[in-house]
Amino acid sequence: MLAVGEKFPSYSLTATVSIEKDPQKAFKTITDLDYAGKWKLYFFWPKDFTFVCPTEITGFGKLEKQFRDRDTQILGGSTDSEWVHHAWRTHHQDLKNLPFPMLSDIKRDLCGQLGILDPQGGVAQRATFLVDPDDVIRFVYVTDGAVGRNPDEVLRVLDALQTDELCPCNWHKGEATLQIA
Amino acid sequence: MNLNELLETVPAYARDLKLNFSTLTQQVELTPQQIWGTVVASAVASRNPDLTQAALAEAAGHLPPQALEAAKAAAAIMGMNNVFYRFMHLTTNQNYRSMPARLRMNIIRSHGVEAADFELWCAAVSAINGCSVCVDSHEKAVREKGLTEDAVLAAVRLAAVIHGLAAVLDAEKVTAAQAIGV
Repeated sequence: MLAVGEKFPSYSLTATVSIEKDPQKAFKTITDLDYAGKWKLYFFWPKDFTFVCPTEITGFGKLEKQFRDRDTQILGGSTDSEWVHHAWRTHHQDLKNLPFPMLSDIKRDLCGQLGILDPQGGVAQRATFLVDPDDVIRFVYVTDGAVGRNPDEVLRVLDALQTDELCPCNWHKGEATLQIA
Repeated sequence: MNLNELLETVPAYARDLKLNFSTLTQQVELTPQQIWGTVVASAVASRNPDLTQAALAEAAGHLPPQALEAAKAAAAIMGMNNVFYRFMHLTTNQNYRSMPARLRMNIIRSHGVEAADFELWCAAVSAINGCSVCVDSHEKAVREKGLTEDAVLAAVRLAAVIHGLAAVLDAEKVTAAQAIGV
């Protein structure tokens, strides 16, 4: 599995962005070059239409504005096709208005490069990555089996990663001043 | 009321402040951006709504939008940091200095204007808010970025006068309210 400090892989995947019937509106190609200048929160799950996943996904959905305020784009994903994502979002009450895309990593390219394909099941593990605007991985969080993730914890970590004491006010006499840029 | 009209309401006992203000906005030690950014940041820090509104309106004619935002940002971020770091300095318990601040202050990196100007505005606000650690460190930072002591003092004069004017305007509002029996 890729670790903190490594570059997030390149990818170009079809994503489901809404439950519109028109495929031109419901699907979109998303690549690693989109959302330039932003942080990205990627989180993967094993399979659509299973039980733990919707609660986590809606958990992230509820915090979407908090993530957006922190210049962070949420991107969900599994190895399911974009049509499966579409069907799930259409028929699951809590997913109809999900405010972020679901990536379809059907060729398992991205999950393979990330090293998060489950050896037993062949699908994505429950893995979360926080990636900074330079495409460097800054946080990796993976849980096994049916243990759901805690979106609040991801937000807490994002906050901590984005918070630096940039003010020279914490300068002590005799020290060199902080060089910001 | 625009800034000139507002200044006309300053009573005789505070005429020094009114006259100081009009000369200080012409100080040659500072660029127009530095002057008007200092006015904005100082007005915000001095907490009088009428003065703030008039200062913002007047400054908009002298500053590009990004600089106006940045000056407000300086007052905002120093409003927080002046309290936090003043505590650090006031307490004799040194343990706090090694504890993480956990305060976002990313605007200090992303304000988008000349670093020296932003630091100058932070220094001015720190003078108003009375944090000695902040005053020291921002003064040092400003001079390292190339501004002279003359420029620093020019900004502090402006901050001082604006703060004084804010207090006068507050007092006059009370007096006017009493006069009409509010």
